[in-house]
Amino acid sequence: MKYTCDETEALCFLQMTPGIYNSQIKKLYDRFGSYVTAVTADESDYKKVLKSDEYEIILARREISGITGDYQNLRSKGINYCIQGSANFPKKLMNIPDAPLSLYYKGALPDDKRPVVAIIGARNCSGYGRQMAREYALELAYNGISVISGLARGIDALAENTAIDAGGISYGVLGSGIDICYPSQNRSLYDKAVINGGIISEYPPGTPARPFMFPQRNRIISGLSDAVIVIEARERSGTLITVNTALSQGKDVYALPGRTTDSLSYGCNKLIKDGAVPLLRPFEFIEEFRARLPYNNTAPTPSYTDGNKNVTESNAFGDNMFLTSNERMVMSVMDYNPKSAGEIFYEISEKATLTIPELLQILTDMTIQHKLKCIDGYNYCIYN
Amino acid sequence: MYSNVLSGGFIGIKSYIVGVEVDVSRALPGFDMVGKLSCEVREAKERVKVALKNCGVELPPVAITVNLSPADIHKSGTAYDLPIAIGIMCALGSIDSSCIADTLIIGELGLNGEVRRVNGILPIIMVAKEEGMKRCIVPSGNYDEAICIEGIEIVPADDFNTLLHSLQCGVFLHALQSNEYSDNDFPGSCPPSGSHSDTVGSGNDFPDSCPPSGSHSDTVRSDKALSLHSNTVRSDKALSLHSDAVRSDKTLSLHNNALIKDDKQSLDFADIKGQETCKRAALIAAAGFHHLLISGPPGAGKTMIAKRLPTIMPPLSPEESLEVSTIYSVSGLLNEKQPLITMRPFLSPHHTTTRQALTGGGTNPRPGIVSLSHKGVLFLDELPEFSRDCLEVLREPLEDKTIQIARTRSTFTYPADFMLIAAANPCPCGYYPNRNLCNCTEPMIAKYRNKISGPMMDRIDLIVTAEKIDIDNLINNTASDSIYTTANMKKEVMRVRQIEDERFKGTSLKYNSDITPKLMELYCPLDAVSKQYMTNAYKAMNLTARSYHKILRVARTIADLDNSHDIQVNHLKEALCYRG
Repeated sequence: MKYTCDETEALCFLQMTPGIYNSQIKKLYDRFGSYVTAVTADESDYKKVLKSDEYEIILARREISGITGDYQNLRSKGINYCIQGSANFPKKLMNIPDAPLSLYYKGALPDDKRPVVAIIGARNCSGYGRQMAREYALELAYNGISVISGLARGIDALAENTAIDAGGISYGVLGSGIDICYPSQNRSLYDKAVINGGIISEYPPGTPARPFMFPQRNRIISGLSDAVIVIEARERSGTLITVNTALSQGKDVYALPGRTTDSLSYGCNKLIKDGAVPLLRPFEFIEEFRARLPYNNTAPTPSYTDGNKNVTESNAFGDNMFLTSNERMVMSVMDYNPKSAGEIFYEISEKATLTIPELLQILTDMTIQHKLKCIDGYNYCIYN
Repeated sequence: MYSNVLSGGFIGIKSYIVGVEVDVSRALPGFDMVGKLSCEVREAKERVKVALKNCGVELPPVAITVNLSPADIHKSGTAYDLPIAIGIMCALGSIDSSCIADTLIIGELGLNGEVRRVNGILPIIMVAKEEGMKRCIVPSGNYDEAICIEGIEIVPADDFNTLLHSLQCGVFLHALQSNEYSDNDFPGSCPPSGSHSDTVGSGNDFPDSCPPSGSHSDTVRSDKALSLHSNTVRSDKALSLHSDAVRSDKTLSLHNNALIKDDKQSLDFADIKGQETCKRAALIAAAGFHHLLISGPPGAGKTMIAKRLPTIMPPLSPEESLEVSTIYSVSGLLNEKQPLITMRPFLSPHHTTTRQALTGGGTNPRPGIVSLSHKGVLFLDELPEFSRDCLEVLREPLEDKTIQIARTRSTFTYPADFMLIAAANPCPCGYYPNRNLCNCTEPMIAKYRNKISGPMMDRIDLIVTAEKIDIDNLINNTASDSIYTTANMKKEVMRVRQIEDERFKGTSLKYNSDITPKLMELYCPLDAVSKQYMTNAYKAMNLTARSYHKILRVARTIADLDNSHDIQVNHLKEALCYRG
């Protein structure tokens, strides 16, 4: 035989060949029975499966650069590659419908023996969503549970960032080629995730992000996770695609309840109505998650977890004893969604008669004392 | 024969005296004009010729040469028609030159001899007064505007014929003579009224020409001229003008009219439901002349607040009024109905406006919007929608309170001491941070905000948010218990302005917003407690040096509103909320 290669190199070669997509690869596989025979076949064999312009490019590429060149090129760029059926291909993904043929990744792939939870939600999230994403990511990280998400803006990025910063492990699944960071402002998170977890994609390097790829990658997110946490979603949200794939893969879906008047909580509340498990407190989720899953050898629960219960709860409400009566009044109308001074003034005016200057003085005091957070210079929310 | 009539022109808002020299000589008949003239000045030739003809003056076949001196300054506008016509009459010997000594003449001529109003009267008359002239002959359409300058005699001119007769019979000279001149200066040169026909032609080089004879034969005309002369309202008015009492009465009544108009507008802060923080910020802005940015959702009332700001600002002082009117005068924006700007200007250019419209443009630049809002409010609605170009040119006037426009010929400087009130949405859809309504992505929001550059934001002292108004607030009219009504606010502003006047007496500063970082120590001293508080705030809020000064300036005004001599911690705390 003219060419020698293994299955991994053969599939890599096929995937890197322009004009050859998964559908053609599957046809070839069905015809030849293995990727090796598929790439080393003769022109006459190809004729029965592919169109002439399709196989001609295969012939030309393997003539010029050989078959193994693509795989070596990948490795030299620091990109790992594994195909379905190889030892390190995640077992969780084997069971899902339409499983990816191969995965490109930087860093590591999720360990089959460790629990993984997906935290997903809206890109344009509210202050409440932000805070909750942070709290759940923190709790997961403390309990040795990996966080997986889509590296998108908003909830995804926040959850992953928080988990990594708290010493946890986080995986990001991209909807583009592995070497393309989209959105680009998550570059630092991308770099952090390569070290503290991994970045995963099923698309060959250099593939630009296209809208149809994101729903595709969602099946990998849910496939790699043991449970899916939905923080915030509008009525028609891309997040709900992940929920659907998770349900079809038989994964548990947890949703964070919200006020019925908040459009960003509508998707979550609807999920709860349809049978998703409502999330009440981070540590309750951990207990429930543990009870449901058969991980006997999960990482030992850090001893500070119990203490942490109170930390997450006490942020806003536990410190009330240190507030003056006016400050307590202000605090009573504050939440995680930022409000302008004017809005605070109206909500308070029902309870007390503060003048504008008095209110502004209190707001400044509380901002400096880190009781409130000032966003954009004129909106205030609870400091966390 | 040669004559020299004085007139005036302006470049930018600076005026200068123009000598209109006319020479009439026996040569091939013609009419030449020199002195770096624009085409409308050149066209004066035709207007003057026809106007003279229609007033019954028949020009003899002579060579007329007109020079506008200084001859190296570009002249434009139509104000030279009348002085040229008078100059020709003078050179022909029809008017005695002594009659127009120390007299500035301005006016456009219609073909029928009517004298029409011109632009830029105010600065020209100011210069005439400085140059020690005694009298200005202006179109009657400019009369109300011109009499705002005190200390110089203003004579209105309706039509050329009447004016000619008045000059010929020496009405003005007579007045002057009785006041200042002794008879021996011009012996017998000014015969009493009625005998004017005799003066024409006397000492004339050209006996053939006798323009008045034409007018004499025309009985209707002379009748009219006589009747106009003897006892008409106009001549009464002209004479009565000599008393300053009348003039000041008139000016006063103009002021009063303006005040009445002001009331009629009936814009009141009490009309605005809610938005108490914005009203408070508006009060501080008016008191210290700080620039203000209001950010908030659409329909919250940002524009309403901006429109009401001029109502709580102190009225224009007479000097300020004159200063503003000068700018409007050269822009041609004054008319008989509004001869003087007595109310604070409020300009709100649309966001598609160009840089030239803002700064002033043209080869001989006219004042732009920033100059027209001098001493008043420049309201930029939808600030981020303005082109970057437009916003960046505002930096200089915001800092220096003037704007310089460079042209090949020279550099023009216009005053531009305005209060900038800007309104902006927090994001493209306008509802951020209310995520129920706003689905703008973060990059979109960042991009929208970045349209206003940092240096621009640094120059805006006060930044507040307007909030979405609840239906409860609109229905249950709670505005009546708001302390922020125009009457209350104006009282406060006037009080603070008095404090500011005393504070800055003898300096070039006027308002708290003028305090430069160098003068901070002097005008905004902090005690130990305040210093400690600012240190904490500086660290906790990531302040910059520039925002630190901004906060101190605003705190100074808040302290003044609080009737406090020193800036206290509470004033700083409030000021910190407006830093943006």
